[in-house]
Amino acid sequence: MSKPAPPEQEITALVGHKFPTGNYTIAHWENFLLTDCTGSPALPDGQAHPVALFHVPFLGTGTTIADLFALGQAESDLSILIESYDWEFHQPLREQTEYTISGEISEADRRHNASGQLYDRIQFRFDMKCENQLAASSTITWHFTRNTL
Amino acid sequence: MSIAVGDVIPAWTMESVSAEKMKTMAAILRDPNPVHWDQQAVADLPLGLGHRTINQGPLGLSYIFNMLHTWQSPGCVKRIHMTFPQVVLDGDRVTSKGIITAIGDDGIECEVWLERAGERLLEGTALVGH
Repeated sequence: MSKPAPPEQEITALVGHKFPTGNYTIAHWENFLLTDCTGSPALPDGQAHPVALFHVPFLGTGTTIADLFALGQAESDLSILIESYDWEFHQPLREQTEYTISGEISEADRRHNASGQLYDRIQFRFDMKCENQLAASSTITWHFTRNTL
Repeated sequence: MSIAVGDVIPAWTMESVSAEKMKTMAAILRDPNPVHWDQQAVADLPLGLGHRTINQGPLGLSYIFNMLHTWQSPGCVKRIHMTFPQVVLDGDRVTSKGIITAIGDDGIECEVWLERAGERLLEGTALVGH
């Protein structure tokens, strides 16, 4: 049986939620496995595969995908749909480089899709800095579908 | 290398999306969603996908990066916006494609997408340095 949708106010109140700022260094083994999964050869000059911009911000701010699902009171792990990823790179990401990462929930509201089904749209924004210079930013927007499973 | 608006970016193909790579990716991402590693969990969904796991969104996106890296160079992507209208499944043969839409001081604007047998699974835009 589906979980009831949370009160709308609990969703909109998420805007401004800040994740603890923290540090993260992409290890060689981690980048090796990640890059291998993508089907790419290893990148030159210690570059990390840019797709690391998805998960590294979570690890740097001490959060997980499961934590993000819980913040949005996900109905289940299967109830999340991706709206979009918006990523900016001011420099290539690199292995063995310490990044300082901050993050917050930038948008959260309740909507209905074209079929009239309820969902909550939540946007997470993370910034990665290296030696006080912005290296990359990740904005991910998910739909927390409700009463659909 | 001479480039112009309307030029087609050389395609990049993943011949067969691997369920085993999805498992490794799930561990790296700490992604608890069973649709990426449990074929039965996917079969139990009312989506008609059968016993095939669903590729992680970032993994599909990585194929777009690979195309752009092969075309220009690693580290060339300055910005990317991606949407995910359809899922990628294990065993799929998927191809990243793109076309140049504008050339400016900031870089090369491209429309990019990932397709399976002509159907767009991911689509978005990228700004590539030059």
